[in-house]
Amino acid sequence: MLGFIKKDLAMIKSNFKLLGILFIIYTLMGLYNKMDISFILPFISVMIMISSFSYDNYNKWDAYSITFPNGRVNSVKAKYIATIFLIIIVSLITLILSFIISYVNMKTIDYAQILISLLGTIFGTLLVLTFMYPIIYKFGVEKARIWIFLIIFGLVIVGGFLVQYLNLDFLAHFISLIENYLIIILIIVMVLMVYISYKISAKIFSKKEF
Amino acid sequence: MENVLEVKNLCKKYDNFALKNVTFSLPKGMIMGFIGENGAGKTTTIKSILNIIQSYEGEIKIFGLDNRKDDKTIKEDIGVVLDDMFFPEILTPNDINNIMKDIYKNWDTQMFNGYLKEFSLLPNKQIKTFSKGMRKKLEIAVALSHHPKPLILDEPTSGLDPVARAEVMQIFQNLLEKEECSILLSSHITTDLEHIADYITFINNGEIVLSRTTNELLDDYGIVKCSEKEFKDIQKKDYIKYRKTKYEYEVLIPNKKDFKTKYNISVIDKITLDELMLLMIKGEE
Repeated sequence: MLGFIKKDLAMIKSNFKLLGILFIIYTLMGLYNKMDISFILPFISVMIMISSFSYDNYNKWDAYSITFPNGRVNSVKAKYIATIFLIIIVSLITLILSFIISYVNMKTIDYAQILISLLGTIFGTLLVLTFMYPIIYKFGVEKARIWIFLIIFGLVIVGGFLVQYLNLDFLAHFISLIENYLIIILIIVMVLMVYISYKISAKIFSKKEF
Repeated sequence: MENVLEVKNLCKKYDNFALKNVTFSLPKGMIMGFIGENGAGKTTTIKSILNIIQSYEGEIKIFGLDNRKDDKTIKEDIGVVLDDMFFPEILTPNDINNIMKDIYKNWDTQMFNGYLKEFSLLPNKQIKTFSKGMRKKLEIAVALSHHPKPLILDEPTSGLDPVARAEVMQIFQNLLEKEECSILLSSHITTDLEHIADYITFINNGEIVLSRTTNELLDDYGIVKCSEKEFKDIQKKDYIKYRKTKYEYEVLIPNKKDFKTKYNISVIDKITLDELMLLMIKGEE
């Protein structure tokens, strides 16, 4: 298992230079434009993980990994663990940089605001990735792009319809009810998202043939 | 003789191709050349052995264990080189060593580094900077460095120039001298196999056409080169296939000795695996 995680981490590591450059650019943008830089988390994480799937696909790693002991299980598990590791690292760096930017721009650090903003971004990032992974495992990274586009497009249309024609006051009411527990609920939902997504991907990969 | 690998009645259907009752076995300590033209079913058979393809019918046993039920145990002891499948090319040999020591219980870092040195592969260079021959050598180093009992090699010399091909075949020959290992080596480049393989298994259009020791095959089989009149005198049961060339008939016979006693045809050539494949595939019955 550890070997498979090391493989994905080594691939993430090979992007560190790019990661460093992006962080410098966004920090400078944050300093000059007084903007929140937490949006770089989904941007960087999705980009790096998609590129890792692309390299896997290009060298047919998925099929090759099956020739190793427990390869069908470990190769999927490792991808999820490496993703979480990447999100933690990028979140920590974003957090530190946000503190610095906040202090430089406003001479004070709004810890609560920064933490909530980051948590929301982590949620968004995980939502995108956990949604994408089973589709990638099912269709491959190339075809998955089309499927992801089609599904997001479909969701936007359905969402737009719901907002326009349905009374969504109950949703606002529901959010106000759980406001005090929002962080805990968000964390539980994130854990569930990762777990369900992993289970679906593992199931798909356990039956996949190359 | 104990068999390391046994494939029995392996069947797998696709829309335009099927493996039909593929059956053969690889005895311990032997090299088996698995030959056939491109698309004959070599890779599908190997993928089934390795469970990369799972939805097949039939039985595959490795060390006497069922390859689906005992997948994890079996894979600890198999070394694999597959055509076009490997680690992502942004990794380095050092990365691979670091990864593999946590994948195989028997991973031998010293042996792996020894192979890197022997093959002149720089440990810190990304795979994508290697030539095709270097990459293939790295794949072989990875396959060998956990002391595998059988090696399963799918087209390990495909796409290599003659020098690199000879080097790669030499590696396998050296390995057999050093370690008790069995090798299933699929290739459509049959000249690579004539000197190294103990057994030849020939697959054509998804079916095993023959599976015999190389010596028996090359000693018994022959090519009769004769005129049309001479060919017409040969009974159908005494030859396998024939081919009409510009000047003569080339007739594949299964037993040179028997043929000599029965017919008065003096030109019976020794067969090469290339000729055998060509006549089996393109010849008429």
